[in-house]
Amino acid sequence: MGEILQYIHKDGLFHRMHPGTKIFFILVIGIMAILSLSIPFLCALLGVVLVMALAGRILREVLDQMKLILAMSVIFILITLVTMPEGDVLFHLLPGGLLPVTTGALDAGIILTLRFAILIMAFQIFVITTQPRDLVNTLEKMRVPIEYNLMFLIALRFIPTLQIEARKIHEAQLARGYSTGKGFVGRIRSVAPVMVPLVSNALSRANILGITIDMRGYRTRKRTPIREERLNMPDKVFVGVLGFALAAYIAATLLQILR
Amino acid sequence: MITLEDVSYRYQRGGRDAVSGISLSVSPGECLMITGPSGAGKTTLCMAASGILEHEFGGEKRGRVTILGKDVREYPGLPEIASHVSVVFDDPEAQLIFTTVEEEILSALERSGLSPAEIGQRLASILEITRLAALKDRPPHALSGGQKQRVALAAALALGTDILILDEPTAELDEEGTASIVSVLRDLKAQGKTILLTEHKYSHFRDLVDRLVVMEGGRFRAIGTPCELITDRSVAEIVIPDFSGIRSSFPCRPHEGENPVISVRDLGFLYGDVPALAGVSLDVYPGEFVAIVGENGSGKTTLIKHFIGLLHATRGSVTVDGKDAKVTPVSELAHSVGLVFQNPDHMFFADTVAGEVMFGITNLGIPEPEAVLGEVLSRCRLSGARDLYPRWLSRGERQRLAIACVLAMQPKVIVLDEPTTGLDGKESREVMEILRQLQAEGRAIVMVTHNHEMARECADRVVTMRAGRIVSDTRNGA
Repeated sequence: MGEILQYIHKDGLFHRMHPGTKIFFILVIGIMAILSLSIPFLCALLGVVLVMALAGRILREVLDQMKLILAMSVIFILITLVTMPEGDVLFHLLPGGLLPVTTGALDAGIILTLRFAILIMAFQIFVITTQPRDLVNTLEKMRVPIEYNLMFLIALRFIPTLQIEARKIHEAQLARGYSTGKGFVGRIRSVAPVMVPLVSNALSRANILGITIDMRGYRTRKRTPIREERLNMPDKVFVGVLGFALAAYIAATLLQILR
Repeated sequence: MITLEDVSYRYQRGGRDAVSGISLSVSPGECLMITGPSGAGKTTLCMAASGILEHEFGGEKRGRVTILGKDVREYPGLPEIASHVSVVFDDPEAQLIFTTVEEEILSALERSGLSPAEIGQRLASILEITRLAALKDRPPHALSGGQKQRVALAAALALGTDILILDEPTAELDEEGTASIVSVLRDLKAQGKTILLTEHKYSHFRDLVDRLVVMEGGRFRAIGTPCELITDRSVAEIVIPDFSGIRSSFPCRPHEGENPVISVRDLGFLYGDVPALAGVSLDVYPGEFVAIVGENGSGKTTLIKHFIGLLHATRGSVTVDGKDAKVTPVSELAHSVGLVFQNPDHMFFADTVAGEVMFGITNLGIPEPEAVLGEVLSRCRLSGARDLYPRWLSRGERQRLAIACVLAMQPKVIVLDEPTTGLDGKESREVMEILRQLQAEGRAIVMVTHNHEMARECADRVVTMRAGRIVSDTRNGA
């Protein structure tokens, strides 16, 4: 079963980098992806992210998200087709002149898809290559309260556990003759036999989890930094390049507006 | 090290006292084991002794608890108590927060106030004592139950406390996993740690335990050295499961000449490209009690999931009650085969015990639902629990409810995965008696277990699996 959003132990370029550098990387890429309206630029940005993944030896893991991204792109394009019918009509999706496919809608859908693809993949690179403990420590240094920090960490940690548990519960209910109901109401009702045990088990687990966190002193004790994370040469070069790219991008955008 | 003076506690949700008038004193270096039926108050006792009850729970508390001579109320909070006492709970999943084994231990070590050099040493020694060095880069979901429990223990050891409290550390583990925990605890005891543990598997911990406490209904039934206690028969049957005579007290009719109700032919199954079953053939006849034994990962659970169509054979065939399990939907096979999973908490969602049993009855359209409900509840000794909330029942009652839910669907074969997990000797025997009774009425029983003794004493036939194959299939003498 595919595990989503988990740290994978490897020795790659990004694995060796400082978590702070990687957070800066996500921010720069994110800002550019959100501000840009140019399809060629977004494609290039996506290419940069993929090359980064390749350099970090995690391309395969990052590409695992392709299915999700493709599914999203179909939804985005359908939504834009219905909501923003602008530009020239290329053809009609349904016979009788219904659902016109327009250039404006297509552009908007593709831009949205590219943005999300870039954001998801950049985030993937970050999560796959960063040990949660380093992340917690970095965020702590950036003065993010430890409670939020642990919340984020636990959310990531329990994704595969909940996936496995949901499957077990589903099987147990199937063995009791459970079937997904028909119609809207039936479907809603058939959620209970799986969701109720899943949520109840998670809640009783949360109690023990809270006690464990307190007893290990995550919230109260001071931490002894064992491995002082420093910005190494690759970090500095990378931060420099990213900073330059961001500055250049902002300058270019401003020039365009002024012109 | 720890004393309890006349401690009573009642949970906020009400009911009777979970523990009532308990007094206990734990000496340095001692290993004290608490046993007794599920719902006897063992976990509550752990929570009381570690100060968790005082600092984390509401409800009604009486009496006094001290840790190292100081009243738990005088400690400002759990983190301060945690410098003296470490607690490991029965659900290891809830105690693993980080995403690799090493991180889990390091994250706790980092907060212990040691210097980086000392942290490195302590990490190495903890990895060694808990036998986790080879697994240090694994994520929690890629570990077995025994390994997860050892990681939880390792993280607890990181704080270097002298007192360890463990609540059923081996409940979900097989023989191998249990043995690994026992040997870790033996080393820790040799180091001089004080250990308080609740357990059902006394026989595994025999040479470790200095004093034994048997609890029942929130009180101490008996306390003393194990040798003293087990001379009393009524205490011994709780501490050490005794299945003798079960088989002869429920005579079963011979099944020769009948068609098998489950017939497995040359079954092969791959998880991805890992072979989980390789060429398994097995016939189960009506009125037969078959035990399937083997270590974790030997393919037992994978095999029984084929009986009800949750998994489909990659090779070979499975025929259930004349139906091809590969093409028949699960809901149809559920008429013939009832599957009771290991963890009953994976199935309960209704507000009452009765509602829980009715779920299967309604799904399959069983006639005369009310009569069936009453009958299965009385059979599983739950008539008095009809309107209770399933999740508040004791583990023993929940296990029997899981059986009742499946029984209500009136299958010809009942398949159970580890039906005595978390039960004491008496409760385990109760479950076995229910199963023998069902068998005597002509149903086939297939039980997956790690417990060889129980398999030998209760089943007619013991099938042993190893690495996805059946390595032996023997018939027990009557």
